[in-house]
Amino acid sequence: MPWSDISGRYQRGARLGGYALAAVLAGTEIVILALALNPNVNADYRAYYIDRTTTCLNRDAVGSYTFGETVSFRSDGAKKTAGMMICGWSGPVADGTHSLGETSRLRLKVPPLRDGLTATLQMAAVIRPPQVTQRVMISVNGVRVHAVTLSGKEPRKVSFVIPPAVVAEPSTLDIAFDYLDGIPPSPAASNIYKRAIKLLSFRLDPIEPG
Amino acid sequence: MALEAVARPNAGGRFIAVAVVAVPLVFVVSGLAIRYAAFASVSAEPGFAAYAQALCRWDCAWYVGISEHGYERFPIPAQSNVGRWGFFPLYPMLVATIRSVFPFPTILVASITSIACSYAACLVAWPLLEKNMRAYVLYCAFLLSGPFSFHFTTFLTEPLFVLLTSCVFLALKRSSYLAAGLSSALLSATRLVGVLVVFATVIQMFRDYRAKGGPTLSFPRWLLGRPDLLVAIFISPAGLFAYVLFLHLTVGDGFAFLHVQRAFGRVAGNPLAFIWDGLSAVPTTGWLPTAPQWSALAALIGLALSAILAVRRQYGAALFCACCIILPLVTNLASMVRYVVGLAPLTMLLAMLLSVSKPTYLAALGLFLSACYFMTVAWIGGYLALV
Repeated sequence: MPWSDISGRYQRGARLGGYALAAVLAGTEIVILALALNPNVNADYRAYYIDRTTTCLNRDAVGSYTFGETVSFRSDGAKKTAGMMICGWSGPVADGTHSLGETSRLRLKVPPLRDGLTATLQMAAVIRPPQVTQRVMISVNGVRVHAVTLSGKEPRKVSFVIPPAVVAEPSTLDIAFDYLDGIPPSPAASNIYKRAIKLLSFRLDPIEPG
Repeated sequence: MALEAVARPNAGGRFIAVAVVAVPLVFVVSGLAIRYAAFASVSAEPGFAAYAQALCRWDCAWYVGISEHGYERFPIPAQSNVGRWGFFPLYPMLVATIRSVFPFPTILVASITSIACSYAACLVAWPLLEKNMRAYVLYCAFLLSGPFSFHFTTFLTEPLFVLLTSCVFLALKRSSYLAAGLSSALLSATRLVGVLVVFATVIQMFRDYRAKGGPTLSFPRWLLGRPDLLVAIFISPAGLFAYVLFLHLTVGDGFAFLHVQRAFGRVAGNPLAFIWDGLSAVPTTGWLPTAPQWSALAALIGLALSAILAVRRQYGAALFCACCIILPLVTNLASMVRYVVGLAPLTMLLAMLLSVSKPTYLAALGLFLSACYFMTVAWIGGYLALV
């Protein structure tokens, strides 16, 4: 067999091998790209990181609470509130726990109730003229229960009733605060940094039957 | 006579070889001395370990975390929104591998590895600097004893990024496309923008093809007829794709490194607006530019140097550097100074430009060495423009 044939055969083999390797690389990269374009993540991950429909990344956490107890959201209540705060909070600091982003959530473990609850919160608006009011929508277990407009720097007591239908079944209360007028630290800043309220205290009282 | 004529170039060659090896070593030592003096001026705690720890600022802590604990799954422990996924794996993996052999604290191993990478980057730069000794001295001084030398000697990705970028461009200079592809693959696992170097590879292929008289329109067909070049192109982003696959398998989201930027507060915007906002952030007191102004200036200088590269017909390097500046600029000016000084083609160009005359060369060398002290103090103090 002439050497030129061996060389030619070797060259053809090398070329074919090169094409095969290039095809394998390209194919692998296409498959990986296809996998990446179809993420296998839960709804919380998707909402926060991918769809960006919330600024509040839900977490698997729940705090303990006893009815009738006033919980301080200032520095002195840090230990108690740590388990309750799911997302969208910064602090606590001396003047309360600051909201962060467009939604904040608290979650508490409570016994099932036949009657409703009265919630009493002390809150203050974060204001920066021209934004001098903060509209806050409060939902419990996904049901809108109260809307309030806070104005001025002074804390204000906000009370509302959580209807029996909302608390009859579940053993946890998921309280969401949605802010319509959050103030970003700068015009170009991400909405995860918006500020709206300071929560100073929180209390739940069962409504007495009759 | 004939023997002398042979011996002299050999002796000259040996001298140059020794100089090429020794110059960066000198700057390794001088850089360590200057930065340590800066550290000692602000810290009461002596010792190399304390020094290495003091220089470990900002992103360094993330790389230490990855090197020691790897990447988190989701949900992230400690109820955090911010995963380590945004930080690419190659350099922390390298440090973890070395630490498994030399069981010292991570930051010590990383600092020594960074110095070694930067030293190697200097050696690789020698042929890229056209064997211009003045430019080489300036480049080595800049990396190892310069105003931003802390970026190249602590646990950040810059040392490996500069080394691998230099390897890619050296391979391209020698038309060694497979070597360029393999270096690019590693580069794309070091930082996201590393993957962009594939465009420089394709541009160099095109230039080589044109130099051989090939018609422009036939380039795609010629390329398809060269399986070795196709392998070089497709292997270039392999590091990035490997990381994407890893994230898909562990987090469930292959693009977690992009999506996690939300938790860092990065939002897409107009790069020109970010530059304008940065330049407009005038100091309220004194005359020193503010951190946003430094960042905006760094971006502009980087883009101007990229344009000079293009004028010098280094189109691949120009495109790579411009993209590496513009891509992060789409989110904001954060870390812009570090990103620009970490672009090897730009710093090499700067060294070439400053070495054209002896006075500029000496002035630049003096400036680099003296600025090293003050900039290290600023870095340790957490000056925002250096992040």
